[in-house]
Amino acid sequence: MSLPVKKKVITFFKKKIDENTLKQKKHFFLSFAYFIESFRAYRRIKSFVYNLIENDQYPYKKYFDFFMIIVILTSVTLLVIDVKHHIPVWIDELDLYVVTSILILEYLARMWVYSDVHKIVIDEYEESRFFDKRLSFFHLFWKIFQNKWGYISSFSAIIDLIAILPSYRGIRILRVLILFRAFKMLRYTKSLNGFIYVLKNKKFELMTLLTLVAFFIFIAGIMLYVFEGDNKNPNIHNLFDAFYWALITISTVGYGDIAPVTPEGRVETMVIVIIGIGLIAFGTSLIVASFNERMSVLREEKVIVNVSRKKSLIVICGYGLLGRLVAKGLQKEGLEFIVLDKDENLVSQAFNSGYNTICTDASQGEIFVKLGIEKRISHVLCLTSDDIQNAFIAINVKSLNEKVHVTVRCSDEEIAQKMEFAHIDQVIMPEEIAGMMSAVYAGEPVAFEVLLSIIEEKEKTQIDEITITRGSFLEHKTIGDVNFDSYRLILLGIFTSKDNGKTLGEFLFNPSDDYYLHVGDRLVCIGYSAAIANLKKRM
Amino acid sequence: MVDKKNIFLFGYGNFGRQLYKNLFLAGHNIKVLTATAESIVNAQEDKVDLIQINIKRNDDILSLNIDQENDMLYCAMSKTANNLFLVLTLRALFPYANIIAISNSLENTRKLKYAGANSVIDLYEATSRRVINILTKPAVTRAIDEIIYKQNNLKMAEVIIPPTSFLVGMYVKDIAFKSMGVVLVAIIDKESEHELVFTDQRLSQQLEAGETLVVVSKIDDLKIFKDLVHSETHPFVSH
Repeated sequence: MSLPVKKKVITFFKKKIDENTLKQKKHFFLSFAYFIESFRAYRRIKSFVYNLIENDQYPYKKYFDFFMIIVILTSVTLLVIDVKHHIPVWIDELDLYVVTSILILEYLARMWVYSDVHKIVIDEYEESRFFDKRLSFFHLFWKIFQNKWGYISSFSAIIDLIAILPSYRGIRILRVLILFRAFKMLRYTKSLNGFIYVLKNKKFELMTLLTLVAFFIFIAGIMLYVFEGDNKNPNIHNLFDAFYWALITISTVGYGDIAPVTPEGRVETMVIVIIGIGLIAFGTSLIVASFNERMSVLREEKVIVNVSRKKSLIVICGYGLLGRLVAKGLQKEGLEFIVLDKDENLVSQAFNSGYNTICTDASQGEIFVKLGIEKRISHVLCLTSDDIQNAFIAINVKSLNEKVHVTVRCSDEEIAQKMEFAHIDQVIMPEEIAGMMSAVYAGEPVAFEVLLSIIEEKEKTQIDEITITRGSFLEHKTIGDVNFDSYRLILLGIFTSKDNGKTLGEFLFNPSDDYYLHVGDRLVCIGYSAAIANLKKRM
Repeated sequence: MVDKKNIFLFGYGNFGRQLYKNLFLAGHNIKVLTATAESIVNAQEDKVDLIQINIKRNDDILSLNIDQENDMLYCAMSKTANNLFLVLTLRALFPYANIIAISNSLENTRKLKYAGANSVIDLYEATSRRVINILTKPAVTRAIDEIIYKQNNLKMAEVIIPPTSFLVGMYVKDIAFKSMGVVLVAIIDKESEHELVFTDQRLSQQLEAGETLVVVSKIDDLKIFKDLVHSETHPFVSH
C-alpha cells in the first residue's frame, strides 16, 4: 500500500547514489514488479478491496458504506455536542485517532486500487527495452506520480483529503471542515454520482442560467446602489449590500433586511422579482428533467444489484401478451426472473407489477454480461412478437455462453428450422400449440378438457413429476412395492434416467409392477396437490 | 380410432393454417372458409381448397349446410373483432352447434365465451403454460406431449359407460385397470356435466351408467378396453 509513497521518497535521494547501485535497485524494482504481477493472492486482495470500496454492483459494498456513514456521523455528532458541552478528552482522542486512521486508510486504499503501479513499471521497462533506451528513475517515478495524480486531483479525492484535515487540532477553524465528512457521506449513498451526472449532463444549460443570474444581479445591484446608495437607504452602505439585496430578491427569498425606499428602487424590485420567478422555474425544470433522465439509470443499477444476489436467474425478453403471462406464471412458481424490453411503456407496466425490469435492447451483449451470463443466468426466454428479433436475441445469448438454455418463440416453421441449426434449445410456436390442442379437442373433447384443467391447475388436482433421489425410500423398490393407491396418486408413467438424471430418457407408460426404480428416474403422477407434496416430502 | 368429424374452419391466417394442419393429420374432414385476401394466398400456397364467404351475410353461412348436431365449428380469424362477430353470428344461427374459438388473451376469452363459444383455446395462455412447464416440470411436459400431441401409440380417450356394461355398480378400486394397460385419470358425472371428479376421490364409489371414464392407454389396449366396457360379463375383475 505504501509502495508509491516509498518510491516517491526514494526519488529524492536516488540522484546521489552511484550508477552501480542504481542498476541493482532498478533490477530489484523490476523483479519486484514482476513478482507482484505473478502473485495471485495480491491480485485477489486488491480486487476484493476494489469491489468493497468502489464497485456498486458488489453485494457487500453496502456494509462498507454503512460502516463509513456511522463513523462519519459519530464524528459530526461530536462536533455538534462540542459547541455547548465539554467532551471528555478520551472521547476526543478516540475521535482523533480512530476516525482519522479509518479515513486515512480509506484514502490510501482508494489511491492504491486506482491503478497498478507494478504494471506501469513493467510497461515502462518493456517500452525502454523495445526502443533500447535507458530507463531513468526520474522518468519512471514521474509516470507513476502522473498516474496517481489523476486520483489525487479528482473531486471526490479532494473532499476526502479535506475531510481528514480537521484532525489537526492546532487551528480551531479546521474543526468546521468536519462538515466535509458529512459531505463525504454522499459518496456512500450513490447520490453524489447522480448529482454530478446531472450537473455534467446539463452543463451548458446550467452555465447559461448561471450567467443570466449573474448578469441580472450585477445590473440590479448597481442600479439600486445608484438609486439609493447615497444615504437615501440607511441599510445600503456599500456595493456589496446592493448585490446581496439583488440576490436575495431575485431568488424570491426576500429576507427584508434590506428593502428599497425610493419609488425607482421599488419599480426595479418589481421587475427583478418577475425575472427571478422565471429564472427559478427555468432552473428547477432543468434539474428535474435531468434527474428524470437519470432515474431510469439509477433504477437499472438497483435492479442489477437486486438480481446479483440470486443464484439462478431466468431472463424474459419481451413483455408483450406472452411475456406478461410467463412472468406471472414464473412468479407464481417462485422462480427468480428479470424482464427486458425495449419499449418504455411495457417496461413501466412490468415495473409496476413489481418485477425486476430493465429497459434495454436484449440483442446487445452488454446487458447479459452485467446480469452475469457466465454464472447466474440459467434460461433465456425470447418472447417478443418479432421472429427476427427473437432470433437476434437468442444468437446473442448463445454466442456469449453456449450453456445457457434458450427458448425462442417463433411463428414460422422455416424460422424454427433455422433456430435448430443455431443450436437453440427449445422453439415454441404459439399457433402450433393452439393447433395441436384444437385437433385433440376435435377428437376427444371431454378427455381434453380434463387434461387442460389439470395442466392449467384450475382444480386441486395436479400433474407433477417426482425424481428418485439417491438414498430415498423408493430407490431399488418395484412399482408393485410402492402401491401408489395408498398415496392417493395415479402413476401415469416413468421417464428413465439418462446422463445421471440430467436429461430425460425413454417414457415408460404405465410401467409394470415388477419395474425397479432407479436413481434419477422421474415419476409422472396425477393427484391432489397435497398428496403430491406428501410424497415429495417423504423423498 | 378417432371418429371422423366434419369440421368447418373459419379463417386461414397463422392460426388457421396450423389448425388445418393438425386437424388434417388427425384425419378429419375439413372445410376451410375465409373472408380475407391474405388467407386466400396462404391457402393457395398450401394447396387447400377454400370457400370465400362474407361473415356479415347470413345467407353465405346458411348455404354451407352445417349440421349443428354433429359438426364442429372452429373460429380462427386473425382479427379478434371478426372472430367475435363470427362466433356471435354462428351462435345466433345454430343454437346447438359446437363452437370452438381461438383467443389471444384472457380478456378476449371472456368476450368469446359471452358471445357463445363452447370452448375457447387461449393461444398465449397455453403457450405461457408450456414455457413455464418446460422450466419447472420438464418430465410432465414431455409426458403430455407423448400422450396427446405426438402421433404415436399412446392416446387419451373418453369412454362412456353404457347401461348394460358390467362396470355399472362396481367399485373403482375393484377394477384392475392397470392389468388392462389402462390408466384411469378421471370420471365425469352425467348430471354435474362439467364437474370433474378425479379417481383418487372415487376409489370407494360405485360406477354408474352414463358416466364418462377418461383414460390413457396404448391404442391396441384401448380397443380391447372399449369392447370390454360394452360387454356384460366381467372377465378382468381383481379380487
